Amino acid sequence: MIAPAALPPAPPAAVSTPSRPGPGDAVVSAALTETRVEVTSGYHGARIVLYGAVFNPSTRPTDVVVVVRGPERPIRLVRKLRVAGVWLNSRPVVFEGAPGFYMTASTRPLPEIAGFGVLRRAGIGVDHLRIEAPEERHTVTRYGIRDVVVSRLGADYLDWRRAVIRLMEKSDLYKADTNGVRYVDRNLFRADVDLPTEAPTGRYETEVWLFQDGRPVSVKVRPLTVAKVGIERRIYDFAHVAPWLYGLLCVGLALVSGWIASALFRRS
Amino acid sequence: MDLYLPIAEVSVNAPLLVALGALVGFISGVFGIGGGFLMAPVLVFMGVPPTVAVASQANHVVASSASSVVTYSRMKAVDWRMGGIMAGGGMVGAVLGVEIFRILRLLGQADLVVAVSYLLFLGVIGSLMLVESLQAVLRRRRGEPPRRLKVRHPKWLYGLPFRMRFPRSRLYISVLPPIGLGVAVGVLSAIMGVGGGFILVPAMVYLLRMRASVVVGTSLFQIIVTTAVTTVLQAGRNQTVDILLSGLLLFGGVVGAQLGARASNRFRPDSLRAVLALIVLLVGLQMGLGLFVPPADPFAFAAGMGR
Repeated sequence: MIAPAALPPAPPAAVSTPSRPGPGDAVVSAALTETRVEVTSGYHGARIVLYGAVFNPSTRPTDVVVVVRGPERPIRLVRKLRVAGVWLNSRPVVFEGAPGFYMTASTRPLPEIAGFGVLRRAGIGVDHLRIEAPEERHTVTRYGIRDVVVSRLGADYLDWRRAVIRLMEKSDLYKADTNGVRYVDRNLFRADVDLPTEAPTGRYETEVWLFQDGRPVSVKVRPLTVAKVGIERRIYDFAHVAPWLYGLLCVGLALVSGWIASALFRRS
Repeated sequence: MDLYLPIAEVSVNAPLLVALGALVGFISGVFGIGGGFLMAPVLVFMGVPPTVAVASQANHVVASSASSVVTYSRMKAVDWRMGGIMAGGGMVGAVLGVEIFRILRLLGQADLVVAVSYLLFLGVIGSLMLVESLQAVLRRRRGEPPRRLKVRHPKWLYGLPFRMRFPRSRLYISVLPPIGLGVAVGVLSAIMGVGGGFILVPAMVYLLRMRASVVVGTSLFQIIVTTAVTTVLQAGRNQTVDILLSGLLLFGGVVGAQLGARASNRFRPDSLRAVLALIVLLVGLQMGLGLFVPPADPFAFAAGMGR
């Protein structure tokens, strides 16, 4: 069934520079305690602390929003359908644009800090992520208007999109903490970034937004890298660079250890 | 003590995995099955992605089967010729099965096919074995002689061409049924992510009429070959074999398999078959009944690409 989809309008680039700072606007400055998280054999997730300071020449109040975005990877989603009493999977739908990790921490709930349009343009908050199913999209001519973008998922499109976010939240990979930004001194704030063990490796981006009167006045972007090191890195690289040799080695190891065990047990 | 697995990308409790490997290895040694159908659900429950669980446990099965085959071969309980012929078929089947599984995964129907296969094969084989072995146990209790098979030389086994002598099994049959059995088990083992012992053991007893004393060792030998091919294919094509995960499992597995192969002498074969039938039936029902339970969330991540 083809129905006009409620495709959310695509906002511009993820980090849009805030509207030109006025003379009295506040400025934010921030740094991470670690810019590189090393995944070793004892890795059990990581906590990184972000410290930042607000320089506010005026008396107008400010709000801070910290956004942490992990590397993107496509997600395949299925819907369970009941057919003759049995629950079956639907055809899988591929969603793109979903970060492997996404976290917001703010001084107040996001809708109180800025309006819908502002948050959408900045891509702040899980509702404003550009998660789309491009393979399902196609254009048709409707009511004489050419190139109308519709989705094969039809009216259920939003259910699918919400499910992506819900499942990621359940795996602890998407989080929103409405008082995650806490002031430790008059102008100095901190936010904790908790990476679960399942968070993907790769390049992360940490954005620190400063809002004043409902509009972004300052933003700082700080990169963060999560990388496997040591033996973890070697195994991973070996398995991907020479996969067939790696497979043979695994089997060889299994055969030898099986033989050793039986030889040892024979003696005893 | 927790350990981060580089391919599975999760942190797991290492001693728990060694214990799990030992337990499954023990069961494998006693019954002549790989034990994959028991281990995969436990690994997935522990948070290992299903694709990695299936591929890495195949390698564990190689180790525990190798460990018990050496022991069985000392007892002259392995028919190498029969095992080799079935393994040849098994390799062809495994290659076919891995391709079929890849296509099913792309269609998003892998879960369904796996669940249905478990329900169907484990359910049917489990019930048949349970009925047969319980009858045998009862007959033994009453002091009656064991029932003889009515047809000792079924036509499809002896009438086909390419007959060959299998001295260890005391058979002189066509090679076609063992090859066919090998291919079928190879396909199923790749799709269900198991060694296929739970199908092989009853098929060798009831279809090929092999001597019971060589069935377990021969089945384990065939399983080594099939799972070794599966491991290499999974590593080469999908990069889903986690050497640390399979290392932990096989560390416990080889020891468990040794204890199991020794313990198997102490039990009567018919009681062993009854217990195996019960395990097979329970796992089959547990996997298959999931199809009828309403899901907690109507949406789910599909296995395969990405997460």
